[in-house]
Amino acid sequence: MNSRREFLKQVSGAVFAAAAAPSMLTWALPAGQAVPFPGEDGMILRSFRFVDLESPVEYFNTWLTPVPHFFVRNHMHEPIELDASGWRLSLGGEVEKPLTLSLAELFKLETHSVVNTLECAGNGRSLQRPQVPGIQWGKGAVGTARFSGPRLHDILQRAGLKPSGKHVMFRGLDEVPGKVPPFIRSIPIEKALDADTLIATHMSGSPLTKHHGFPARALVPGWIGAASCKWLTEIKVLDAEFVGNFMSPGYRLPNQPVKPGDAVKPEDTHAVTALSVKSVISGPIDSSSLKMGKVTVHGAAWAGEADIVKVEISTDGGTTWNLAKLGRDQAHYAWRLWSYDWKPGRGGDYSIQSRATDSQGRVQPETPVWNPSGYLYNAVDQVNVHVS
Amino acid sequence: MFRKISAVALLAITTGLPAQKSAPANVTADLPAGAMQTRATTACLECHEARIILQQRLSKAAWTKEVDKMTKWGAVVDPADRDALIDYLSTNFSPDKPAYEPPRTANKNASGKSGD
Repeated sequence: MNSRREFLKQVSGAVFAAAAAPSMLTWALPAGQAVPFPGEDGMILRSFRFVDLESPVEYFNTWLTPVPHFFVRNHMHEPIELDASGWRLSLGGEVEKPLTLSLAELFKLETHSVVNTLECAGNGRSLQRPQVPGIQWGKGAVGTARFSGPRLHDILQRAGLKPSGKHVMFRGLDEVPGKVPPFIRSIPIEKALDADTLIATHMSGSPLTKHHGFPARALVPGWIGAASCKWLTEIKVLDAEFVGNFMSPGYRLPNQPVKPGDAVKPEDTHAVTALSVKSVISGPIDSSSLKMGKVTVHGAAWAGEADIVKVEISTDGGTTWNLAKLGRDQAHYAWRLWSYDWKPGRGGDYSIQSRATDSQGRVQPETPVWNPSGYLYNAVDQVNVHVS
Repeated sequence: MFRKISAVALLAITTGLPAQKSAPANVTADLPAGAMQTRATTACLECHEARIILQQRLSKAAWTKEVDKMTKWGAVVDPADRDALIDYLSTNFSPDKPAYEPPRTANKNASGKSGD
């Protein structure tokens, strides 16, 4: 592909340096002024340090999310220095022949592309009641891109997978502050060997930007974003799930529904993996005033490893539901855009709701299923509008 | 770009003032005033910025868990300050407070020029 040559040219001998903002630096921003942030346009700034950026839902009107509008989630500091020429990816553990690949060697492998909707497990956390700790994402820690790179399967086969290999661990170059446990997670071998699980170097035709894991990241399609480790440098095949904070207690859900305040034993939890069925309304936006006439309600719907079967819209508080029209663009792990033309019969206040159903028969619940970390929020979406 | 921000930031630290009026590179926000503001700034903002705290709305029990977890993860909290720090956080960032309104980003550098 053309972009590969451009990419190699771009990174050849280059050192990408970015000094972390010094700690305890504060000065005020005049009210209403946006925070200068190169390459990131109109994003909701959840945190500058570490960088956590959310897309406003009104950006969800294209099938592929432009990179400057794609959410950014970091658990810790981004790498201070990324040297593409010195970058190496090591593969070891339960394999016959441990190996190390340079970027040029990675590019010699056959490239595949997967259009994937990537969503943070904590997307929608701010909507949980009672509220739970963590980045207080609204509805926009999600986006869709065409990720490209070699298959993880091909790299594992090259190293000679041993029968004892049951899980595959990823580690990246995140800068770990203090005594925080390193961001290391693993995925089961079946998902690692899936033909759509990639070591991605490109995002919608361009090399990954630093915020998205340059020069290479794991891409575990249909799963929570945390599975797709950024700035990837180490892959290790293990005989069991990786033991570490970001596998447990992090990124786990109770096996049975729990109430706020209930104690949950680790053995009564499971790792969060595939995404839930979900839709969001990207227009009209919440609290907007509309003029009488045709209103196109639109948005996006996704379901992780499943396909969206239908999206229904209610404009009467959930009494009646009408089918939305699904957009033409589709791919197995990607969201479907949808739209519904609505003609309000009279002026007044309306609640517009969207509800998705997927190929596994899952339906967005009317009320959210609470859990202690606020993962996989997927209640029926709602915006309130005034028609005059 | 980040180099540029860093240079501005370092100048600000050296002089103790914002580097230039025309370059309001808002990197972080402040924690609210109070007896524990300075201690909380030292303990928490060494590793992350204030917005991560400003956006939370948690009970005292939840704040207690967070403070103890962060202390284990390297936050420097004098044991004598632990309870006062928990009080400070659970008073300022309790579930009954209005939601935090985050700013937006603009695709430009600290000097106001358009980014890529």
